[in-house]
Amino acid sequence: LSTFAQETTFTKGNKYTIAEITVNGNTSFSEQTIVTYSGLRKGSEVQIPGEEISSAIKKLWNSNLFNDIDIYLLKVEGSNAFLEIRLSDLPELNAVKITGVKKGKKETIIKENKLDKGVKVTENLITTTKNYLQNKYKKDGFTNAKVNINTIEAVDSLPRSKVNMVLAIDKGKKVKVKDIVFTGNSVLTDSKLSGAMKNTKKRNFLRIYKRSKYIEEDYKTDLTSIIDTYKENGYRDARILSDSLIINNDNTITLNINLEEGEKYSFGDISFIGNTVYTDQQLKRVLRITKGETYNGVLLQERIADNTRPDAEDLTNLYQNNGYLFSTINPVEVNAEGNVIDMEIRISEGKPTYFNNVTVQGNEVTNDKIIYRELRTRPGQLYSKANVVRTIRELSQLGFFDAEQITTDFQNPNPNEGTIDLQYGVIETGSSQIELQGGYGSGSFIGTLGLSFNNFSIKNILNRKAYKPVPRGDGQKLALRLQASAFYQTYSFSFTEPWLGGKKPVQFSTSISHSKQFLYDYTTGKADKDKRFNITGISVGLAKRLSVPDDYFTLSQALSFQHYDLKNYNTGLFTFGDGYSNNLAYTIGLSRNNTYNDPVYPTGGSNFNVSAKLSIPYSLFNNVDYAALSEERDEQEEIYYDADGVYTDIQSTNAYTRMGEIDQERYKWLEFYKIKFKADWYTRIVDKLVLRPSLEFGFLGSYNNDRGVIPFERFFLGGDGLASYSLDGRETIALRGYENQSLQPVDEDGNVTSDGGSIYNKFSLELRYPITLKPAAKIYMLGFLEGGVSYNNFKDYNPFDLKRSAGLGLRLFMPAFGLLGIDFGYGFDSVPGQGTAVSGWQTHFIIGQQF
Amino acid sequence: CSPYQKALNGDDIASKFTVGEDLYNKGKYLKANRLFEQIMPQYRGKPQAEKLSFLYADSYYKAKDYYLAGYQFDRFSTTYPKSVKAEEAEFLSAKSSYMLSPMYSKEQHATKDAIEKLQVFINTYPNSPYLEEANQLVKELDGKLEKKAFDIAYQYYKTVEYTRDYNAAIKSFDNFIFEFPGSKLREQALFYRLDSAYNLAINSVERKKEERLIKAKSYYLSFVNKYANSEYIDKTKDMLENLEEELKKYSTKS
Repeated sequence: LSTFAQETTFTKGNKYTIAEITVNGNTSFSEQTIVTYSGLRKGSEVQIPGEEISSAIKKLWNSNLFNDIDIYLLKVEGSNAFLEIRLSDLPELNAVKITGVKKGKKETIIKENKLDKGVKVTENLITTTKNYLQNKYKKDGFTNAKVNINTIEAVDSLPRSKVNMVLAIDKGKKVKVKDIVFTGNSVLTDSKLSGAMKNTKKRNFLRIYKRSKYIEEDYKTDLTSIIDTYKENGYRDARILSDSLIINNDNTITLNINLEEGEKYSFGDISFIGNTVYTDQQLKRVLRITKGETYNGVLLQERIADNTRPDAEDLTNLYQNNGYLFSTINPVEVNAEGNVIDMEIRISEGKPTYFNNVTVQGNEVTNDKIIYRELRTRPGQLYSKANVVRTIRELSQLGFFDAEQITTDFQNPNPNEGTIDLQYGVIETGSSQIELQGGYGSGSFIGTLGLSFNNFSIKNILNRKAYKPVPRGDGQKLALRLQASAFYQTYSFSFTEPWLGGKKPVQFSTSISHSKQFLYDYTTGKADKDKRFNITGISVGLAKRLSVPDDYFTLSQALSFQHYDLKNYNTGLFTFGDGYSNNLAYTIGLSRNNTYNDPVYPTGGSNFNVSAKLSIPYSLFNNVDYAALSEERDEQEEIYYDADGVYTDIQSTNAYTRMGEIDQERYKWLEFYKIKFKADWYTRIVDKLVLRPSLEFGFLGSYNNDRGVIPFERFFLGGDGLASYSLDGRETIALRGYENQSLQPVDEDGNVTSDGGSIYNKFSLELRYPITLKPAAKIYMLGFLEGGVSYNNFKDYNPFDLKRSAGLGLRLFMPAFGLLGIDFGYGFDSVPGQGTAVSGWQTHFIIGQQF
Repeated sequence: CSPYQKALNGDDIASKFTVGEDLYNKGKYLKANRLFEQIMPQYRGKPQAEKLSFLYADSYYKAKDYYLAGYQFDRFSTTYPKSVKAEEAEFLSAKSSYMLSPMYSKEQHATKDAIEKLQVFINTYPNSPYLEEANQLVKELDGKLEKKAFDIAYQYYKTVEYTRDYNAAIKSFDNFIFEFPGSKLREQALFYRLDSAYNLAINSVERKKEERLIKAKSYYLSFVNKYANSEYIDKTKDMLENLEEELKKYSTKS
């Protein structure tokens, strides 16, 4: 036997010169246009049959203007060919008439099927429209829906051919399921079986969330679910013998399902074959199925490979997470005697797989180095599914990419070499935020301009070309904020580089700020520019990711300096109106954050934070006798308050001046230590419902009791927790259901103080549910229960004497604006200094901050 | 009322064409482009359409809208494959994609596209007057991909103290050397690969040490064979000494 290559006649065409091309057919286009369009030219040489002719037909088709396109060879004279193009114009749609549906629906039908005036009416258009509509009605339970499409030539003065379309829709009645009759079942009850049918339900007017309807496709899935239910209960032979559909007179149907249950099985011996990396014992521990258990095919499948959860503890993941990408695991029944099934789990481990190329695609803004340094899957590394998952998580936490759309693409798998390429796909999101506010508050106009660029590139700041609209792509953060009103002005600038030097994740940050406050002039109702309080600050910090105890830990250190400058600023807050104070402090903090995935809406993990802010203990070596000063101050204070009325006014004023002098000495360089702790946990309860308990604690202390606790750096509890304009180091702690910073401690005399607490704690429980997590806008609802308390000294401190509240809220995150939100909180307790009435309902607006 | 405004708001397609061409010749590409855009459909199929389409595409190109320029040049060359301007159009289309290629440290999808298009052009018109420029552009684009691959590998090398992952640097320089055989950066790549392998071997756990020492030595040999006069040569000599010192322990043992 021998075979011959087939000869193709196509290439064997003869060469001709085109002598003439004519056009025939029902068309409004000129002959010249059509010939030009075809690409054929008089006088040119063509092969017939040949490529030129077929490409001419193709070109005419591609114009989407013609129908029935043919090219004929009319005659041949010597080497001259006479061609004819025959075609007709496609008709245009003139008008659509739709019958059988409500007026409002007609427009949607036209829109969905693009039946606009002027479109070319092709067979394809008619068929797809018809199928689309029929399927759509079937999906809504109108099993008997019929759609008919007719086209009628429209008479028009123009020579173009036009058609009118008539869409006749007959939805028919919605078909409901009257009854589902099971026969052959004895182990599982009817109701259990119909419960297993998730889509097809019997008619029941009480059930409003899922109406009864019959959709063939869903019904088929339901039949599979019935069998799965049996499988879960040990009946692995269960099958549907037959099922029938009976159409009743009253537009309902009855479904008859006839099944055979078979016998109940249980697991026998389970043995593993082909495993060299893991011992039988190790595999059994993951499988968690023992001899004698009711046979459950579904569970067995899940323990081998759970397709619903990528991070499940199953055999496949055991291999996948340890480099065995090409491993396959197959359970085989080897013996089923006496309804006991012996299983053999056959494992083909394959070679351990290493990453070859790891690439990233889609970073149109962000530079490679910013992304590649975050990768936990590097070339030459053993394949690990867990590392892939963690990389995705960490990439999404950068905030430069859409967290919901990070993809992985495995390419060029090579089981022989044991290598694979991995490509991450990212989609850039806008990570700059602009805050522009103007409003009327505390009697004057307040304007705020805030700019924050989260993916800044400082090295391109002088490169004009990089401004699109700002230089981006180096993962740095730059924020500017200006706020001004008649009473205060603040300017702040901050910059953060997450990988200083590019060798290690050492985050460098610096900030400079300056603020001015003026006193209120009661006579004019305006700001008194001669009475002011200036604060200037600068800070530099370094934060380092640790690898011990695990690599979610970060150690941060910062050095900060603030200079307070008072001029004629007599408010009673300080005993000296003219003076200054310096705050030089070192902060050290340790945090652990393994929340995932989306930083806006974490669904798991926890976040711990502990920090200490310390000043130099000046009093140890500056040779100032603070005990004497403290004593003197107490004496002067007695004179000043003059409870018995024995001192003159002048004496009292002098005493106050002396107190100021002493306080100036005490606060020249602030001496303090501050300890804070904060923790929150995220747990997914069901679906995307997330529970977030949190607790926090803060304590401000002094090294030297005679110097006392400073009036700066204090904790202000209550309200939305948004940092206020005051830069005296105060910490505003949110506690919804109460007015901003209203929960002030009470001193030993029962008076409410106004300069904040030196110790506080807070507990909070929040339940969150997302409405949408689309990249353009993420919205979630929340409900909360919380309580907090603040005190002025440790002696009185009772962490459970809480001010409690509860409420509801909404958060909206848009990439360009950051987080916005509103909370309605009800405070169950009274506010100190405001009588016994409970705080009641309070509304809080939240900007750019997460509770 | 300028002739441009008149033509823009008028109905006369012939005057739109002439005014447009005039503006094009004067270098007012954006205005010309707007006029051409208006009359493109009307001239469809007419003999003047060939010239118009080219000017239309070129006005995008000159106005630096390379995305649309590329598209319009492509349309031109598929519609008029026999035109005398077809070659120029194909070159400009390829050059438009070259213009769209971003800096090397970002996504290089456009760069690969441009290389492909330029390559097709070079293959189709091997005698083109644009050939030299096309080759130049391809070279430049290849250089980008090369620099990108090198930088990524170099970052693995640089961050090794943090990642403790010498293999990432070794493997990615390996891939780089394989993929860009004629690269200017080859010397450095070979050296960094050697340096990574050397450090991995010297600091290795006992179990894998011998194998790694041997591998590092083989990287040394491939470096020295090629770059005997390299500026790194002294450093590599030191490495070799240490490697051999360590290797002695294994040879005496056996």
